Amino acid sequence: MELREFRDSLASGFNDHYSPQPSLRHRGGPDLQENENTVQFDWSSHPEESDDGDSHQPQNLRELPLHMTLKRAIWQVQQMKVPVVTRWGSWRIHQSKAFRRFREDAKDVLAKLALWRKTIHKIGGHFGGGVQSYFLFLRFLVILNLLSFLLMASFVIIPSIVFNTVSFSGSSSIDSLPSVNMTGKEECLRYDPNPEALTVFYTYFLDLLSGTGFMEYSYMFYGFYNNTLVISSGFSYNIPLAYLLTAAFYFLFCLACIIVRMGSVTRIMVATGGGAVGGYSMLIFTGWDYGLQGERATQLKQNNLLYQLQVDLEEERIKQKAASLTLTQTVGLYSFRIFLHLVVLAMIVGAFFGIAAATQFSQSQQQGGIVGLLLEYLPSIVMTTSNFVVPFMCDQVARFEKYSPSVTIILALLRAVILRLVSLAVLLYSLWKQITCDGDVNTGKCTPCSYNSEQYQCWETRVGQEMYKLTLFDFLITIAMLVLVEFPRRFVVDNCSCKLVQWVGRQEFLVPSNILALVYGQTVVWAGALFCPLLPIINTIKFIIIFYCKKGTLFQNCRPALRTFRSTSSNFFFFLVLLIGLMLASVVLIYSVAIIHPSYDCGPFRFSETMWLVVPNTFHSLSNTTQEFLFYAGSQAFSIPLFIFSCVFLCYIAALATVYGKTVALLKNQHKMEGRDKQFLVKQIKEIAALSKEEQEPQQPPRSQAQWNGAPHWGGQHNPAFDPDTGMMTQPRAFFPDEFENPGLHYREE
Amino acid sequence: MGATASKLPKDQLSEYQELTFLTKQEILLAHKRFNELLEREDRQQIGGSRVPMNKILTLPELKSNPFRRRICQVFSTSDLRDGSLSFEDFLDLLSAFSDSATLEIKSHYAFRIFDFDDDGTLDTGDLEKLVNCLTGEMDNTRLTSEEMKQLINNILEESDIDKDGTVNLSEFQHVISRSPDFVSSFKIVL
Repeated sequence: MELREFRDSLASGFNDHYSPQPSLRHRGGPDLQENENTVQFDWSSHPEESDDGDSHQPQNLRELPLHMTLKRAIWQVQQMKVPVVTRWGSWRIHQSKAFRRFREDAKDVLAKLALWRKTIHKIGGHFGGGVQSYFLFLRFLVILNLLSFLLMASFVIIPSIVFNTVSFSGSSSIDSLPSVNMTGKEECLRYDPNPEALTVFYTYFLDLLSGTGFMEYSYMFYGFYNNTLVISSGFSYNIPLAYLLTAAFYFLFCLACIIVRMGSVTRIMVATGGGAVGGYSMLIFTGWDYGLQGERATQLKQNNLLYQLQVDLEEERIKQKAASLTLTQTVGLYSFRIFLHLVVLAMIVGAFFGIAAATQFSQSQQQGGIVGLLLEYLPSIVMTTSNFVVPFMCDQVARFEKYSPSVTIILALLRAVILRLVSLAVLLYSLWKQITCDGDVNTGKCTPCSYNSEQYQCWETRVGQEMYKLTLFDFLITIAMLVLVEFPRRFVVDNCSCKLVQWVGRQEFLVPSNILALVYGQTVVWAGALFCPLLPIINTIKFIIIFYCKKGTLFQNCRPALRTFRSTSSNFFFFLVLLIGLMLASVVLIYSVAIIHPSYDCGPFRFSETMWLVVPNTFHSLSNTTQEFLFYAGSQAFSIPLFIFSCVFLCYIAALATVYGKTVALLKNQHKMEGRDKQFLVKQIKEIAALSKEEQEPQQPPRSQAQWNGAPHWGGQHNPAFDPDTGMMTQPRAFFPDEFENPGLHYREE
Repeated sequence: MGATASKLPKDQLSEYQELTFLTKQEILLAHKRFNELLEREDRQQIGGSRVPMNKILTLPELKSNPFRRRICQVFSTSDLRDGSLSFEDFLDLLSAFSDSATLEIKSHYAFRIFDFDDDGTLDTGDLEKLVNCLTGEMDNTRLTSEEMKQLINNILEESDIDKDGTVNLSEFQHVISRSPDFVSSFKIVL
């Protein structure tokens, strides 16, 4: 009886019927003073009218944000007209839910298997996303190097070891196709890497540091590998070919990994738009993860949110300040910035000349002992010094430039990358000059052998040694910095309380310079991988040790950054810089493979004109059909259509991208318009309500406020909707709120 | 026998399956966990007894959640408004936070949880308390008052469409509907 009364009064009242569509905007919304967010159930709606399918009916009840007792009451009423849910429908729901759960579990497991996952998560919580991105980058490089080493090992190193120790019947250790005339080249065959019989112990140490002596003629360097061609029953293995193709594939593999990583980072950047509209409210309302358990996880998440908020707020403040400058101030700022850019450029160019001079000097001197060691390391020393001094000065300069934190980081990164990579390029250039006598292979010292055989009996090993020395030196300097500078600094800051020391303060973990160190180290490894096949594994070990050292120094010595930066856009630049390094190294690779004459006395290519010639030579030994197929693939009849097709495909992708960009801009505009429409309609509603209130004013019975004060606002057990004697029940209440506390009804056209 | 808890009758189980988003296993697990929180003498009468809030907050899933008190208060149907939960309130809670609950339910309850003063809208005070819950209650983890003011201004500018200085349910749901991970992060599973 009560229920029917209630139902009738409800049905007459308002037009927000219960609808399954995702718009709660109607649901007896916040316009009602008392039942503000109680959901009213429209008793007059019929389940058969729903068009969502047979799973709809059971979902109905659960979607009501009411308490269990109320839901039960509604359910009992509905029981009378409940339709049959087919078994097929419920099986489908069950399957889709199970599949979704399985997918989430699989993602969980994969995430758990990631290397160093807990450590990196902890770092992100304590120091923010910027520092975390450094460690993520480091982890990526470790895995890349490990996989590269496995590649090299399985195709080059292990076969070499096997063939050297086991002798195959029918194998030949000399390539049966010597393609170089060996007469008259006696001066070129004077390579003798074997160390003297009796050596002092400390020379072993020197040899370890410089890659000479016992290390020179070992699997470490190019010179040790033979041009073995093994042909036994049904099995043939061509070491030179394997060497070359593995090196080429290694580069392609690294390129693919970097591009895939860049792709995922770019996608995130485009999707979030780097601080999109609605960013703050989205972060605050949806930022918490309710599945977190434990004090530590909660604190980490809270720290993360705090950092993110602070970064965003600071960026906005800076933008506002920049926008509020007058014209003269802006002009002054820009001209000052141009001047500072020129200063930085001058510093970088100065550093280059220093490195070039040092390399030339070092290569022309040959002394033994400690002085010789110092001379050998001279290029590395000069490079490292300039790599410390110049970025430091650039940082000081950057303080005056007043860019926002993200832009400052990217600018610092670009400057440091130019410095580091081009200084490496200068070193390689000087080496090249010495090896090939300034490029002119038919003059002076280069005449008999097409390379400078006086200085370099086995130039590939020398280049490999240089790269090895660079890697080692970089590693030693990193460790030395930690031990000699960072730990003492913390010790001094903690124990000495004089003003100057406290002003300097604890170390701050500078992400860009650390990233640069990683990119530089990786570029050196890439440049040297052809000449020193064990370099990737050395690099892996080096990076693993650096990971733990940096983690230690981070937690012990560094303070949390006072200024953090948005890590998604910077991540993209880290990978871009890495790609630049790869390009540089590939130039080295291509040049060595295709142009410079290999050494006559060492290495797997000792009897070829160039390293590349192994491939055409092997090509001729393939079967005829394969040869014809490959000829066809390389001929014009095939490549020109392929080229045209790729162009067309590229144009299509470009057009698609433009269309998507335009659609995104259009939708953003629409979004803004919608907001304005809503404001306009709300204003209209207010006006209409005000008008009608004036009309209704004389007829409204006085309402006692006391009724409402004690009652709970939310449904609870006491739902005023169930009170049959409430005056409100008889009035239409959807559109005409009595007091305009919450005029937030959204009228939606159906 | 003191050790065995009361079992859930089958018809009640199916009724709960109808009225909530929980599966049978989830309801049985909730029954078991709720039993453990009850005093020994109340265990037979699981329907009628309430567990006080401080006991609910010992659950590991809620213990370190910064919104734990608000969650208990929102789902509580107790007349004393002390945040104590009966078994059915507990099931309501788990249903709203479950895997399969819809966006509407979750956003509705999220709004109620964030409404610290229970007035139906999120005004400046509510937003400030919300931000402090999110960043931590310690002094060194709070935003400064200028930052807080700037943040709240930004939030209201972005989400307050009718410009009345508060965020109401519809505006809140409008913001939520644009977030792709809200449904997966608004989850508590026993």
